[in-house]
Amino acid sequence: MISVKKVDNKPLNLLERIYLYEIARGLSVTMRHFFKNLFNPAGMPTVQYPEQTIPLAGNARFRTRHRLKIRADGSPKCVACFMCQTACPAYCIKIEAAEYPSNNVEKYPAVFNIDLSRCVMCGMCVEACPEDAIAMDTAEIPGGAAARAELMMTRETLLRNLPGEKPTLGASNRLANEYLGGKE
Amino acid sequence: MPTIKIDGRTIEVTKGTTLLEAAQKLGIYIPRYCYHPKLSISGNCRMCLVEIENAPKLATACSTEAAEGMSVFTGTDKVKTARRDMLEFLLINHPLDCPICDQAGECGLQDYYMKYSLQKSRFRQEEKVRRQKRRAVGPHLVLDNERCILCTRCVRFCAEVTKTSELEVMQRSDHSYIDLKEGKALDNNYSLNIADICPVGAFTSRDFRFKQRVWFLKKTSTVCLGCATGCRMTAHHNENTIYRLVPLPNSQTNTWLCDHGRMTYKAVQAGDRLSKGVIKNGLIDLEPALREAATRIDEAKSEAAVLGSPWLSVEDNAALARLAISALKTVNFCFEFSSGQGIKDGILVNEDPAPNTAGAGLLKAAHGGVSLEELSGRIASGRIKVLVTEARAAGLVKTALKTSGCRLIVFAQNRSEIPAGAYATLPYASYFETPGTFINYQGLRRRTNPAVRPADGVKPLWNVVNKLAAYSGTSLGLDSAENALKDIKL
Repeated sequence: MISVKKVDNKPLNLLERIYLYEIARGLSVTMRHFFKNLFNPAGMPTVQYPEQTIPLAGNARFRTRHRLKIRADGSPKCVACFMCQTACPAYCIKIEAAEYPSNNVEKYPAVFNIDLSRCVMCGMCVEACPEDAIAMDTAEIPGGAAARAELMMTRETLLRNLPGEKPTLGASNRLANEYLGGKE
Repeated sequence: MPTIKIDGRTIEVTKGTTLLEAAQKLGIYIPRYCYHPKLSISGNCRMCLVEIENAPKLATACSTEAAEGMSVFTGTDKVKTARRDMLEFLLINHPLDCPICDQAGECGLQDYYMKYSLQKSRFRQEEKVRRQKRRAVGPHLVLDNERCILCTRCVRFCAEVTKTSELEVMQRSDHSYIDLKEGKALDNNYSLNIADICPVGAFTSRDFRFKQRVWFLKKTSTVCLGCATGCRMTAHHNENTIYRLVPLPNSQTNTWLCDHGRMTYKAVQAGDRLSKGVIKNGLIDLEPALREAATRIDEAKSEAAVLGSPWLSVEDNAALARLAISALKTVNFCFEFSSGQGIKDGILVNEDPAPNTAGAGLLKAAHGGVSLEELSGRIASGRIKVLVTEARAAGLVKTALKTSGCRLIVFAQNRSEIPAGAYATLPYASYFETPGTFINYQGLRRRTNPAVRPADGVKPLWNVVNKLAAYSGTSLGLDSAENALKDIKL
């Protein structure tokens, strides 16, 4: 069964049937906005992204490009526990763990890749991290890229502290704190 | 034969059965750390406390023998509180190492905490007792004393199973810790079992260390081909890579697995794994290599010989037998191997280093053939121009090959296996990649299950043999491993 909906269209009145009048009325709306924007560009609501950005409202900042935090000695805070890779619903994180020969923290990520072309920006990795090592607070929204390779974030591009952020000790990680404390 | 009641269910058990074993028979799980079915009873972890009617205190189920008329309760509030409090004791000094601990995911503390405790720690992290962190205690093991709960499974394993007694509990009471005895290293051939039986992350494997999180691993049960004992084991693998082999306890052969057997997976993904043919020393695609090998076989025809191999499955040996009988039409074939059989070290390692001596014997029984001495005599005297065999089996006739001008065509998995002076080498799939039947020294038939996929172009040996026969002009018509087995009764 196909349901049919009868539309009761209002018949066109004389001015509408003349057509030219309605064209002129439409154009006047367009031209009004054109001249308004031409002489008062500040009033325009359009944002020229990505050259121009507006501050993200509220907590929207916590769903932006990932970063890995850095300890005071420059080592990654991440201990390669694979919690983020396990929690990731998009399978976009790839970690390879390695062992420090002397550092008591024992484990670090030799490879830490996030494939932004797969990432769904859900923030599960941040939720899962027991070391508070991964964050999505850079306020950068990953945009388009000319090549897929540009969307692959590696350990090198991920490791950074925010401007003005003090490099923390190992936070809750006792072994890291002891190691870093011993170095001071 | 005492009859006891556990949680209201009656069971009759043999004298000497402990409450824990009796409960297991009823399918009631009692938590335990120090208890292990193959080790002596220690009764120190106190996780298995149960309530017995008319008894003044809770008793450990692992060390209490069932007595006539006993009524045992495993789920009362008193028992539950005891379990929760025992876990609190065990966790008091346990470090928060889970993110860097390899045991996470298969850890007794994690599992029981989720099941029996779920309470917040009342101990401040800074007050925890510190102990020595990771250190290598042998070629295969790392010990972290801080994670240890002193269940002494490892101590008992070294004292009772390997009888080497490398480990001991040092000091007393809350100062105690596990350490090596002076001047000893944990270097026995069964040391990796300690990483398996350790319920926490104190002993972890150096080989597996940080390679993979355990919850990513997929499990395939298969057979160890390290010797003729043919232990059952489980290959743990993920994304086409094997990460470790662990024993699959069974009453017929093994509870444990030796370190040698556990390392057999390394050859499968070693860098020298062959995926192409080799002529003399040069790599060459499989098809031209097969053509070259077939040409050499054709030249020799009845002066060619086939030597089976106790390292190959029954199916692949059968394919080699078909090659000898139907394609080469030679009488020079041998499937008779002899080697001392029996457990060499009193635990698992067999005198016979090859896994399928008995299986090759089936081919001898079905097709006859000459003896190994006779074959090596014929090779030495120069009556055989071309010998087709498997790489390790070629070692059995090494001296005869050296003096004669016999051309050697071998099947090999790894480049390092290829015997010196081999003329052509053909790759074949390992038994971690293809199924095969093996018969151990007791005559038990066991099948390997493929855990990983072979590299492109690497085929099971029966398939390579089929192609080799086709190149020399005979169709063996082998389209499956079972097909090769046609006239063999397993």
